[in-house]
Amino acid sequence: MLTPKWMSRLLIAASRDQMAPVVAELYRHHLFHIEEFVEAGAEGYEGFKIGTPLSGASEASVDLVKIRAIENATSIQGDDIDSAKVSTRTELRSRIERDLPVLEKEVEDLTVRRSQLDARVKENEQRIAEITPFLTLTVDLDLYRGYAGFSVFAGYVDREVTLTLPCEISYTTGKEKNFIVIVAPVGQRNEVEQALQAAAFQSVQIPEESGAPQARIDHYTAEISRMRTELGEIIQKLEEIRTKHSGFLVACEELLRAEVEQTEAPLRFATTKQTFVAEGWVPSERVDAVTDALVKTTGGKIYVTVLPIDFEHDNVPVEYNNPSFAKPTQVLIDVFNRPRYTEIDPTLMVSIVFPIFFGLILGDVGYGLILLAMALGLRKFMKGEEGQQLLAVLRNASISTIIFGVLYSEFLGFAIPGLKPIMPSRHLIAEHGGHGPMIPDLMILSIWIGILHITLGRILGMINHARQDHGDHRIKAVMANLGWLAVMWGILIAIWSIAALPLMPNLTGLLSVVSIVNIGGVIGAILVVIGVAFIARDSMLEVVEIPTIISHVLSYARIVAVGLSSVAIAMVINFIAIGMFIEPQLKNFTLFSIFIILAGIVIFLLGHALNTALGILGGGLHSIRLHYVEFFTKFYKGGGVKYIPFGMKRRFTED
Amino acid sequence: MAAELVTAVDVGMSVEAIKASQMGMKALGAGIAVGLTGIGTGIAEMGIGSAAVGAVAENKDMFGLALLFTVIPETIVIFGLVVGLLLLFL
Repeated sequence: MLTPKWMSRLLIAASRDQMAPVVAELYRHHLFHIEEFVEAGAEGYEGFKIGTPLSGASEASVDLVKIRAIENATSIQGDDIDSAKVSTRTELRSRIERDLPVLEKEVEDLTVRRSQLDARVKENEQRIAEITPFLTLTVDLDLYRGYAGFSVFAGYVDREVTLTLPCEISYTTGKEKNFIVIVAPVGQRNEVEQALQAAAFQSVQIPEESGAPQARIDHYTAEISRMRTELGEIIQKLEEIRTKHSGFLVACEELLRAEVEQTEAPLRFATTKQTFVAEGWVPSERVDAVTDALVKTTGGKIYVTVLPIDFEHDNVPVEYNNPSFAKPTQVLIDVFNRPRYTEIDPTLMVSIVFPIFFGLILGDVGYGLILLAMALGLRKFMKGEEGQQLLAVLRNASISTIIFGVLYSEFLGFAIPGLKPIMPSRHLIAEHGGHGPMIPDLMILSIWIGILHITLGRILGMINHARQDHGDHRIKAVMANLGWLAVMWGILIAIWSIAALPLMPNLTGLLSVVSIVNIGGVIGAILVVIGVAFIARDSMLEVVEIPTIISHVLSYARIVAVGLSSVAIAMVINFIAIGMFIEPQLKNFTLFSIFIILAGIVIFLLGHALNTALGILGGGLHSIRLHYVEFFTKFYKGGGVKYIPFGMKRRFTED
Repeated sequence: MAAELVTAVDVGMSVEAIKASQMGMKALGAGIAVGLTGIGTGIAEMGIGSAAVGAVAENKDMFGLALLFTVIPETIVIFGLVVGLLLLFL
C-alpha cells in the first residue's frame, strides 16, 4: 500500500547444460523480470557474450508465424475468445503437425485468390471510369485510334472550341466539365492544340477497347458482380474456418509463443563457453520460492543469490501493491505514468478520492443508476484487462454518484420528494419547499476540498523528497514543499482575518493592528514571507509559480461549476419535455395529444441520454484532471519501469 | 453631490425597475466574464492541444504530460466562472 511491491535483484549462475530446465522453471513461475544483458561496457562481465537460442527455436518461430498469418487472414484475436477449453501440450503438438499444414494451405489459397479478385475488381472499375466519358458518343471505341492521317483529341474543356480547319468536332456539355472529341488531319495538329490550350484542355486517354461504349461497360459491370459473388464466397469460407478453428489457433499461438519466448530467453543472458548468468528482479516475498524451485530442478547445480540494490543506477521494475478495491484505479495511474520504485504510489488515494469527486460533480440518483447499469452490463462485452478495470472504476464512481445524489436530493434533475438535501442544494429553482441554489456554500466547500487535497499533495511531496533525495538538496526540497504550504495557509489566514466567509473560520474579530489588518493578517503575512524564502532557497525560478497556488485552489471550483451545469441541463430537459409538451396536453386531452406526448417522451429520453454522456465526460475528465494537474504536480513524477515477469498467464493451454 | 447624481440618473424609473436593471447588468457581466474567458481558454488550448495530440501519436507514454499541458489554460475560464458566480450570487 502506498509503495510498490518490494523487489529483490536476483543473480542466477549455472552451467550451460542447466539452461533449458532453468528457463522452463522461471517461465512456469512467471515472476522473474529479466534484466537484459548488454555486452558493451557491462561491469564485471568481461569475457561474457550474449547467449544463443535453445534448440527448436527456429521451428517454433516458423510455426508461430504461420499461425499468426492465419489468424490475421481470418481476423481471430485471442482477447475475443473465452478460454472455455484448455488443451494439453501433447494434444496440440500432434494437431499442429497434422492439421496446421492443411489449414495453412487452405487459408493461403483463399487469401491469394481474394487479393487477386480484389485487384481485378479495381482494374475493371478503372476501365469503366475510362470508358464513361465516351458514353455520350455512339461511336464504337475502336474507331478512335489506328489512323495514319488523323489525330484524335479527347478531353475536358471549359468552353466550346470552334476550328476553321477541316475537322470533326463532338462537344457535349456536362454538369461540371464539358467533354470534347476532335478528329483533325495530322498536319493541323499544332493549330488544334493551340485552340484547345486556350480552352483549358485536359486530355483523356482513349481506352484500348473495341465495340460500343455501353456494351463494354455492361460487360465489365457483369464481371465485377461475378467477382464480388466469388469474394463473398471466399469471405464465407474464411468465416467458417474462423468459427471452426479459432479455439485451436489461439491455443496453438499461446503454446508456440511460450516455446519461442523460452527458447529465445538466452539472448537476454550473459554466457561463457561453459556457464550462463542471468540477472533479474523478483518480488522480495517470492525470492525463497523461486530459489528453492531452481535448486530443486537442477539438483543443486546452480548458484542463486540476492544482490544489493543500487538506487542510483538500477532501474527497479515497479509492480503495484494495492488492496483489491484499489486495483482497477491502476489503469488511471498507468495512463499518467507508472510510479518509480522509490516513490509513493498514489493509486490508493486516487481510488478513494476519484469516485468522491465524480459523485460530487454528477451527484444524481437517476444518472448514478444508469451508469451503474452500464458498468455492470458492459462487463460481458468488454474483453481485455484494461476495459474491465475502467468499468470497475466507472462502477465505483456510479455508486458514489448515487450516494451523493441522495445527499443532494436529486433524481434526473428533479428534487426527490420528501427528502431534504443534506448537502447544500444545487436546484436552480426551489421545489417541494426546498432551497434554491446555495452557490456560496458550494463554492466554499469545493475550495475546502482543494485546500485539503493540495495540502495532502504537498505533504506527500515532502515525504517523497525525504525518501528520494540526498544531502543538501534533500533538506532544501523538503523545506520548499513546506514553504508552498506556508504560503497557501498564510494567504488563507490573511483572507480570513479580513473577511468573514461562510463555512470558514472567522478571524476578523482578532486584535486589530493597523486599520483592517489584525493579528491574523500579520501571522498570514509572516507565513507567506517565510514560505517564499523557503521556496526561493530551493530554486529561485519557482517563485514565479507562486500565483499557481491561487489558481490551483480555485480550479477545484469546477466541482461545483460542472455539477451545476449538469443539473441545469437536466432541469431544462425536464421543463421542455414535461412542462411544455406533456403537461399542457394532459390538461386538454385530444387524440392529437398522444403524438405530442410521445414526442415529449422522446425528448425526455434523448435529453437524459445526452446528459448522461456529458456527465461521464464532465465527471470523469474533470475529476481525473484535478488529480493529474492539481494533485500529482505536488509530489508525483512517475516514469517507473513496468514489471514484466518472464512467462505468461496461460488461458488456452496447460503445462 | 450624491443627491445630484441620483436625481441625474432618476428619469422616472421606479426602484424596482432600477433593481431589475442592476440584476440584468450583473447577469450580462457574468455572461461576458464566462464567455470571453472561455474564448481565451479555447484559443490557448488550440495550439497546445494540436501539438499534444501529435506528441501522443508519436509516443503514447506522453499522454499524461500532454494532457497536463493541454489543460493548463483552463485556469482562465475557471477564473471567469468564479467571477461570474460571485457577480450573480454574492
